[in-house]
Amino acid sequence: MARPAKKHRVKIANTEQTIECAANQTVLEAAITAGIDFPYACATGNCGTCTSRLDDGKVSLLPHNDACLTPVQLKAGLTLACRARPRGDLTIRWLGRSSA
Amino acid sequence: MTVATRRLRAAEKLLADVHAITSKEGITPSALHAMKLKLVALAARVELFPASDFAMPVAGGRSHPLLVEDGDGHGLYLTIGLPGKEAAPHNHGIWCINASVSGREHLEFFRRTDAGTQPGHATVLKVGEVMVEPGNGMAMADHDIHATRVVGDRPAVGLALYGYALVRFPSVAWYHPQFGSMRTTPSRRHAAAPA
Repeated sequence: MARPAKKHRVKIANTEQTIECAANQTVLEAAITAGIDFPYACATGNCGTCTSRLDDGKVSLLPHNDACLTPVQLKAGLTLACRARPRGDLTIRWLGRSSA
Repeated sequence: MTVATRRLRAAEKLLADVHAITSKEGITPSALHAMKLKLVALAARVELFPASDFAMPVAGGRSHPLLVEDGDGHGLYLTIGLPGKEAAPHNHGIWCINASVSGREHLEFFRRTDAGTQPGHATVLKVGEVMVEPGNGMAMADHDIHATRVVGDRPAVGLALYGYALVRFPSVAWYHPQFGSMRTTPSRRHAAAPA
């Protein structure tokens, strides 16, 4: 029997809320499930609407369009919430709406 | 003649054929089908699309313009999707035709099932699917809802012809069956006004 995925604590800095996110779940999925109005559109790494900054922690990224998140942006600590699975507890903030 | 020159001439011939079809009958299902056959035939000329001429995406996917018409014309691209690349169900408001050069991309088609009266809410139902692989393609009308996924362990390389160039795309509506939601990205129609 498959063991349930490990859960991590994800702090959404914009709303000061901390939610649980399974290791096999994206940050966006966990945020929407928790009722947080996280900005998103395509939810598949093609539009860049959910571009966020990782203030702390690490994620694994699912495939995405390189026009939405370049290697330079990745190195600068940006990520796509719709493609990011937590590798541990982390803090993330979305860009472009109520914070920059 | 270089490969690049032969490729450009083939692209110009395709667009001329497409305009001959649409000027006769407009954008109809039979016109889209006829255009698809032309694009599949072009994609079969794999010698025109050597991998060395088109940079691979760093991640996900990338579109290389082959021929983008002036004004409010069509856009023809060579698209590359890496294994695992996917796009959620979406409607980009303009017709599109795909044909495979190599690799495989699975497309699913959906129909919206809610009344569209609640902002941000939508439900969709899968109504069809097609595997775009060498020798075939697909055509869709202006508002068809579709999802894509590159399957297998090889990149999917294909040709994509859109009614408008990508830089002049209308608003795109994205649907999320798992959230029961829809979101739109802004139109680019204002960004490059017709000449």
